[in-house]
Amino acid sequence: MTSLKRSQDSRQYSYDWPWVTLLLGPGLFLLCLLILIPVIGTIITSTNRDITFMDGKWVGLSNYAELFKDTAFRQSLRFTISFIAVSVPLELLFGLGLSLLMNYKSSFRGIIRSLVLIPWAIPAVISGRIWELIYNVNYGLANYIIEQFGFEKINWLGTSSGAFWAIIIADLWKTIPFVAIILLAGLSSIPETLYQQAQIDGASFFRRFYSITLPLLRPVIVVALLFRTIDALRIFDLVFILTSGGPGGSTTSLSQLGFKYFVGGDFGYGSTLSVIIFLCALVLSLLVIKFGKFSQEAI
Amino acid sequence: MRENLLERMLFYTGLCVTFVFILAPVTFMILMSFSKNPDFLGQSFNFTIRHFYEIIYTRSLHFPEYLANSLIVSSISALISTAIAGMGAYAFTRFNFPGKFILLVGILALSMFPQISIVGYLFRIMAGVGLINTRTGLVLPYTAWVLPLSLWILISYFLQIPGELDKAAYIDGCSPLKTMWYVILPVASPGLFSTLLLAFIFSFNEFMFALMLTTDQAARTVPVGISLFQGLHGEIPWGSIMAASTLTTAPVVILTLVFQRYIIQGLTRGALKG
Repeated sequence: MTSLKRSQDSRQYSYDWPWVTLLLGPGLFLLCLLILIPVIGTIITSTNRDITFMDGKWVGLSNYAELFKDTAFRQSLRFTISFIAVSVPLELLFGLGLSLLMNYKSSFRGIIRSLVLIPWAIPAVISGRIWELIYNVNYGLANYIIEQFGFEKINWLGTSSGAFWAIIIADLWKTIPFVAIILLAGLSSIPETLYQQAQIDGASFFRRFYSITLPLLRPVIVVALLFRTIDALRIFDLVFILTSGGPGGSTTSLSQLGFKYFVGGDFGYGSTLSVIIFLCALVLSLLVIKFGKFSQEAI
Repeated sequence: MRENLLERMLFYTGLCVTFVFILAPVTFMILMSFSKNPDFLGQSFNFTIRHFYEIIYTRSLHFPEYLANSLIVSSISALISTAIAGMGAYAFTRFNFPGKFILLVGILALSMFPQISIVGYLFRIMAGVGLINTRTGLVLPYTAWVLPLSLWILISYFLQIPGELDKAAYIDGCSPLKTMWYVILPVASPGLFSTLLLAFIFSFNEFMFALMLTTDQAARTVPVGISLFQGLHGEIPWGSIMAASTLTTAPVVILTLVFQRYIIQGLTRGALKG
C-alpha cells in the first residue's frame, strides 16, 4: 500500500493518442466484446419472451413482474440473502483471527502463510466434491467425528437446515484464508511502534487489539466485507456440486436458478434473473469504489 | 509475563485449530484416493493405486483430455491477459488522457460483474460464431474475465517503478514502446509473474463458463469433468473422483506453495489497489 501520488512525476508522455490507443485498444476491445456486450445483450433479452424453439416477442417488463410473483425466485432470494448474512460475518470474524495468527511472530509464521493458500488454490469444484464426501451420511468424515463424540449421525445434505450449514462450512473453509490474506496486508502496515508504546503504557492484549488494530484495520475490513458480499451474492460452484439446489429447492442460489433457466432454453426469464443479480452486484461494487482507496489523484 | 503466556496459549490453540481445519479435508481426499473401500474410517485401511490407474487409463472417463484442456486453456488465457494487461497498465501509469479515472473505475466495476449476467448471452455469441465446445471458445472469455484483475495488479506494480527510469530511457531516445519493453517490463518482472500465476489459477478453477460453453472432451475442462463424474454402476466412485481431484490439485497447490510470496503479493495488490 504505497503512495499512489508518486505517479504524478513519473508521467513522461502526456496525452499521446496513438500510443494510448495502441496500448489500451486490445484490452478494451476484448472487455467490450466479451463482457460489456453480453451484459447489454442480457439486459435487452430480459425484456423479451425468448425461449428456444418458440417465437420471440418483446414483452417489456412483464418478465420482471412475473419474477416477483415467482415462488422459486423468492425461495432462492431468501436462500442467497441468508447465505450472505451468515457466511460473510463468519468469514470476517475467523478471517480476522487467522490474520492475527499469520501476523504473530513465531517460528510457524512461514508454514501458516503457505498453509492458508491451499484451500484458496484448490478449485471450488474439487473442494465441493471433497466436502460432499465429508458430508456423506455413511462414511463421511463429519459424521465419523460426530459419532466419536457420542452424537447421532446427521443427514447433512438431505435436510434443508443440514444442507444450509453444510454449504456454509464448506464455503468458510475456502474463503476464510482469502479474507485473512487481505486483512494481513492491512495488519502489516500498522507500525510496530504503536504496539510497543501501548505495551509500555500497560495496555493488555485485548486492549491493544481493540484500540489499535481494529480502528486502523477498519478501511481494509470494509473493502474485504464488500468483496466477500459481492462474491457470496453470486455463489454457484459450491451449491451446484454439494446440493444442486436441494433438498426441495431450499438451497438454490440466484445464480443457480438463472443458470437452470438458461440451460432449459428460457433465455428471456434467465436474463431477467441475471439482471437482478447484476444490479445488486453493481450497487455493491459502487460502494467498493467509494470505500476503497480511490481518488482522482490516485493515478 | 502472565499476559504473554495467555497470548501464546491463544496463539497455539488457534494454530492447532487452523492446521486441523485446513488439512483435514485435504488429507481425507488423499486417503480416499488411495483406499480400496470408501468406508475406511473406523475400519481397516487397504492401500491401492487402482483408482489412479483407472482415471488415467480408462478411455471413457477422458480425464487426461480434460486435464490437457484445462492446462492449455488456462496457460494461454494467462499469457494473453497478462500481456494485454501489461500494455494497459503502462498506458494508465505513464500517459495522461481524458476520462482515465472513469475508464479505470469502469474496468474495476466490470471485474465485479457476476458471471451469470454474462454467461447466457456469451453462449449465444459463441454459438453464433461456432466456438461452442472449442478451446478458443474458452480462452476468449477467460482472457477477458481475468483481465481487470491482472490490470489492477500490474498498475500497482508499475506505479512503484520510479519515473526517473523512464526519463533516462526517453533522453536516450527510446520510444514509449521500447521503454516499456527494455526498461519497465524487466523491472516489473516479479509483478508480471504474480499476475501470470493468479490469472492461471483463476482460469484453471473457473467453472460456470466451462460448464455452459463445452459439451464433451474436445474442450471440457477438469472442474466440469469432475463435477459430472458419475459411476458406471450407480454407486458414486469416490475413489476415482478423489484420485482425479488429487491429481488435479497437486500441480496447483505445488505451484502455489513454491511461489507463495508472489501469490500473496498479487492477491493483496489486486484487492487493495496499490
